[in-house]
Amino acid sequence: MMKYQNTKEEYTLTDAKTLAYINMYAVLGSLENLCQLDPKASALVADRKPISIGFEVKGGPSATITFKNGKCRMEQGCGECDVKLPFSSCEKFNGLIDGTVTPIPSKGFQHIKFLLKTFTPLTDMLSNYMRPSEEDLKDEEFFNISTSLLFYTVTVAISQIGNNDEIGKFSADHIPDGDIQMSIAGGPAATIRCRNHRLVTIKQRPDDPRSVMEFGSMKLANDLFNGKVSAMAQIGEGTITMLGMINMIDNINRILDRVGLYLA
Amino acid sequence: MADFKINTYDKSRELFNRATKVIPAGVYGHLGPAEGNFIPVSAWPFFSQKAKGAYFWDVDGNKFIDYMCAYGPNIMGYNDPDVDKAAMEQAKIGNCTTSPSYKMVELAELMVDTVNTADWAFFAKNGNDVTTLAIMAARNATHKKKIIFVNGFYHGVSAVVQKIDYPGVLPEDVANNLYVDWNDFDALEKLVAENEGEIAAFISTPYLHGNYFDNQLPADGYWQKVRNLCTEKGIVLIVDDVRAGFRLDLAGSDHYYGFEADMICFCKAIANGWNVSCLCGKEFLKDAVAGMSYTGSYWMSAIPFAAGIANITKMRELNLPTLLLEKGKKLTDGLKDAAKNNGFDLVVSGEPSLFYLRIANDNTMMLHQEWIAECVKRGIFFAGHHNHFMNYAMSDADLKHTWEVADEAFKVVAKNHPELF
Repeated sequence: MMKYQNTKEEYTLTDAKTLAYINMYAVLGSLENLCQLDPKASALVADRKPISIGFEVKGGPSATITFKNGKCRMEQGCGECDVKLPFSSCEKFNGLIDGTVTPIPSKGFQHIKFLLKTFTPLTDMLSNYMRPSEEDLKDEEFFNISTSLLFYTVTVAISQIGNNDEIGKFSADHIPDGDIQMSIAGGPAATIRCRNHRLVTIKQRPDDPRSVMEFGSMKLANDLFNGKVSAMAQIGEGTITMLGMINMIDNINRILDRVGLYLA
Repeated sequence: MADFKINTYDKSRELFNRATKVIPAGVYGHLGPAEGNFIPVSAWPFFSQKAKGAYFWDVDGNKFIDYMCAYGPNIMGYNDPDVDKAAMEQAKIGNCTTSPSYKMVELAELMVDTVNTADWAFFAKNGNDVTTLAIMAARNATHKKKIIFVNGFYHGVSAVVQKIDYPGVLPEDVANNLYVDWNDFDALEKLVAENEGEIAAFISTPYLHGNYFDNQLPADGYWQKVRNLCTEKGIVLIVDDVRAGFRLDLAGSDHYYGFEADMICFCKAIANGWNVSCLCGKEFLKDAVAGMSYTGSYWMSAIPFAAGIANITKMRELNLPTLLLEKGKKLTDGLKDAAKNNGFDLVVSGEPSLFYLRIANDNTMMLHQEWIAECVKRGIFFAGHHNHFMNYAMSDADLKHTWEVADEAFKVVAKNHPELF
């Protein structure tokens, strides 16, 4: 049983390992979408030989990000990569994401220029979209990209929390098998697939969802992700649509509550 | 098709918009659009104007046959003349007073005389008050800390009866909660063995009438085996009869299923909507409850006591649970016929006086939600994913009207889904 004390991590009952999984697949994983959505990001990695960066976290996740033809793709594991960044703990990896740890490659020193001149600017762009200023959000294109990236980050984080976080696992244990559609009307969609209480997020609309949760607009989704409006009230307003197996959505919403604790 | 009027809800919407400015979630909890599963939200009213008998009218003037009965309390019919007369007469002479009214003693005597397992009665306001009291009393009596719950349970809103992933609940709040599947006596026996000497109570509804799944009755012999196990191991057996109470058996739902609880919780149907709940128990637990610090400002108000006396007396005279079981069976048989005639597989589960509905033609519940919404839009107030409640005021004409609306609603859903038929 986890203990309740006054440190932030223990007060919110969050843990470094779950955060590492979120940082890997939800945060770094959204580089895939950044390169799709922002031509400037795509241009950064367009005219160069394909290159892959592996992240290996002791006691945590491992993944490889490959940049090829202006596109970015993340896959689990880092057996074959051009640059390998090892981390001795989940805490160290989380430090990379919050900017307090500088990684040292164990493989691929010759690509250090890519890390400094391309990868770092890409992650800086991602940070700008994920933690935008009010001024930036006045630009419609920026707003839409920012909201879409937040959407993908949140939907992937849900699966990571459902699979790794102790309280999130309790919620996932109550989700029946099937596909849950999360979407924004006129915007991005994702599938959260549940099999035997394990969750995986697929960044596309499901063909045959058992339940649907759709936010009525990009503006509403952005406000919800940033805690500016109440989801419960919006359900009453009819701007959040829920359909199908509500016990799936009910438990996803409990996990969604915890996304904010990790990503705050 | 009969072509029933389709409701509109302009005033409800206007009020809801006002409500969201000053009330969290606008309408919170089970009566609200989120927990109440208003799918789509446009099909439901938010606020009522008045109620009478089997009906309520919303603020837009739409009339509903109310199969939720305010989620249970309305067992006799809204504004029952006998119950309300007793309440109004009590209101003239005293309600919330420094010394409690003698009506408290009279209602306690009536509860003890009515409820099979009751040697005493303790009054509060809501179901949660008495389920929480029962758990605390079991701990106080046994000096043990663990409580066994049945998966899919709902026993109120105190932190101890919520779940670890609910907002505001700490792991410490539920650290001594154990869980077992309904009807799985072997698993219960194993759980008890694994926690030998540590379990204060087993709490359960008389049958599994949770939300989002077909309700499940007790297997043959299940409750008798549970009773024996609890007796053998010194575990207090608590029945949460807040929802089913008085709709199966006035002597308690444990009596209906042929066993005796150590404590049994009542609320909804005691006083036909006047606010009172009650924990009844066996003699050996009376001192444990007496010694606890557990009270509330309005728990000994006399109006609900007077209403409860009138309501229970009337229910006894009518043998009401039998009537409600018969009426529920008649209603649901008609609904199943309407479904079948339109190519739908309507599954009815639970006891007929608290029937639960599910259309089983797909595995998503979306057809079910469409049909429920079409019924509500035409003035039949069903809930999507909660058991329903029968009351005395529902007439044969109401049932017939319900079948006709249900038939039209099925036809609308069928027309919207030509791919299925």
